[in-house]
Amino acid sequence: MIINHPLLGPRDAAEFVYLGDASLIDRPDWEDPDAAEKYYEYLYLRDNPAGLHRELWFHEQGDRSWLVVTRNTLTHEITNVELARDVAKAQGRSR
Amino acid sequence: MSDLTLTPAPALGGYRERFEGVQLEELPNLAIVSIATPRGGEAEFAAAIEKAFGVAAPKPGHSSLSKDGRTRLVGMAPDQTFAVFTHDGPDARQVIDGALDGAGYTTDQTDVWVSLRIDGPRAHTALERICPIDLHPDAFPEGRAARTVMEHLGTIVLRDGADSFLLLSAHSSAESFLHAVETSIRNVT
Repeated sequence: MIINHPLLGPRDAAEFVYLGDASLIDRPDWEDPDAAEKYYEYLYLRDNPAGLHRELWFHEQGDRSWLVVTRNTLTHEITNVELARDVAKAQGRSR
Repeated sequence: MSDLTLTPAPALGGYRERFEGVQLEELPNLAIVSIATPRGGEAEFAAAIEKAFGVAAPKPGHSSLSKDGRTRLVGMAPDQTFAVFTHDGPDARQVIDGALDGAGYTTDQTDVWVSLRIDGPRAHTALERICPIDLHPDAFPEGRAARTVMEHLGTIVLRDGADSFLLLSAHSSAESFLHAVETSIRNVT
């Protein structure tokens, strides 16, 4: 499998480590009154789609960047690759 | 205090070998300093690099040679640049600190890496068997750099000439890395 890194171009998947669902970026606020419930959902509940899935990959044997990869779990076709920092910034985070 | 003198020893003892169409040698006096760009200090960093080296800071995957030809700056990742230069002594970081005057955070990585240069008309043929990066001159021209894996070992590969590549890998597995490169050369010569 080849992941087309937004900065470095096509790279072999062997250079990357898979983390999981890209929703892990959205860590709940620990001061929220419903924090316990939200952390339960954040840590334990996952969608398991047969089709497009947004997921986090770490370029460990490369530039050490975190990527948000959109992959079809049925075909392994990768339709989009973004830097996780850009995704987080687009959601209003500082980094 | 005892009056022992410590003498630095290169990882591969100054290895140098000639094969048919390929030369492989260790570069024992290559200093490597990692420079991180301070958050919010990107403009000052770019200006300091320009002033100290006479070239723009390279983007990730690219490198640029300083105006005096002595230091190669390699873009490793967003906000991380390596300065690679020939230097004999334990104070490589201070050299870069002096040049940048605090505009970047530096870490001396000299002894972390083993440095090999492979060159000659068959260098590309030997490398393409162990390197997952496309090293064709159209895709990876002179000055391009990449951090990748060769034979399961993390490696930085940099093209510093038409037929010449600089390879950096972990000092702790230097002999295994040399073995991988040597084996690949023997398979094509």
